[in-house]
Amino acid sequence: MTTPAKIKLSEEALVEALSRRDIIAMRALYDMYGAALLGVILRITQHTELAEDLLQETFLKIWNASDKYDATKGRLFTWMMNIARNLAIDKLRSKDFKNEGKNQDIENNVAVIDNQKKQIINIELLGLRDLVSGLKPELASVLEMVYYNGFTHVEAAEALNLPLGTVKTRIRLAIIELRKQFN
Amino acid sequence: MEDSSAYIESGILELYVLGQLSAPEMLEVERRAAASPEIRQELEAIEIALERYALENAVEPSPNLFEALEAKLSPVHQTSFKIQPPAPVALSQRSNRPLQYALAACIALLVVSGIALINAHSRLNQAEEQIIALRTEKDRYASGMNVLKQTNAELQTVADMVDDPNWAIVPLGGTKTSPASKMMVYWNRKSQDVMLDKSRMKLPEHDQAHQYQLWAIVAGKPVDLGVFDMKTDSAQLLLRMKEVGKAEAFAVTLEKRGGSVNPTMENMVVFAGVSI
Repeated sequence: MTTPAKIKLSEEALVEALSRRDIIAMRALYDMYGAALLGVILRITQHTELAEDLLQETFLKIWNASDKYDATKGRLFTWMMNIARNLAIDKLRSKDFKNEGKNQDIENNVAVIDNQKKQIINIELLGLRDLVSGLKPELASVLEMVYYNGFTHVEAAEALNLPLGTVKTRIRLAIIELRKQFN
Repeated sequence: MEDSSAYIESGILELYVLGQLSAPEMLEVERRAAASPEIRQELEAIEIALERYALENAVEPSPNLFEALEAKLSPVHQTSFKIQPPAPVALSQRSNRPLQYALAACIALLVVSGIALINAHSRLNQAEEQIIALRTEKDRYASGMNVLKQTNAELQTVADMVDDPNWAIVPLGGTKTSPASKMMVYWNRKSQDVMLDKSRMKLPEHDQAHQYQLWAIVAGKPVDLGVFDMKTDSAQLLLRMKEVGKAEAFAVTLEKRGGSVNPTMENMVVFAGVSI
């Protein structure tokens, strides 16, 4: 099978094609963001096969819920990324996944927040260039928790024994740091 | 703008992008964003940062993963850019609707067959009842038929008696006790058969404690020929009594049920002498 050239469309064209339920929108979204979404999912699940299943699920959900996307409320990728993250985190927390024993004990894992160790594992497993690791540890850990571990910021504050305001500030600072790195 | 920058500084916009807010909080952010270009700009910057971050950490999926995915999608439109003919795969979204129809059809079919089953069941019950009724009726006809056959045979016997000189037809008349009574006894001197004709019997009614007893007078002495009831359930015409070879007379007395050794003369209802 020949692999067609990767498709790129502008965000407006994507949204428009998606609303028409044109399959070209899916091809374009997949080509443009599939790998980025897989990176997020893989970071959460740590399991390649499962992550690819979840990526398919994510795109199915994008396809089926495309009418729910509101361009005035944010970028398309943000919407897709939250779908992917939620699916992955739900999967990790689901009974059948725990029963599979692929995840020894996500709650414990998360509660301990052996952040350094986790990042080493990630890098080893995925060979990622991890920008979070370039952050100060106190910023990285908070972002890590809410971004990859499915914590709410309230839960993160409790787990880290920090005031809620501090957690919010740290999340903000971490993202500002990322912004700087990209500029 | 003072207000906006404090809002931005609070970190709530980051939480919004990370999907961390409750629905009312999200509405609040959206309301403020709509009102403030500064907030909109900030939101977009946060979104782009996280987007680029994700792109930086992208992991290429296995080849052909999209083809597997595509098979599960249900295209409504396709542009001239032909990617892949839509594969009719069972698990696709597209098959969902036919599946729903199929499910609805199944349920409808189930209901219909359920009703049909109940219907068939009640009709079966009806049929069974009819069969039982018909069988009862048939039995009744059969027994009626037997009665008729028997009656016919008995009538034939009576008819034959006329031609047979051995048969004596003895009409018994009422006594002083019961002047209206009468009865018919058929007696075959040769075969010694004695029969009573119930169709021509007219005796007073009696209670359950009593029965009529037929006597033959032989050499001046009464000989018991058996007991009989005036009323009998059977449609029998002829009652066969005990045999007797010689008789000067026949008499019937009312006796206690089961009969007596000697006749109670004052209870004699019919009597007839036999002409030799």
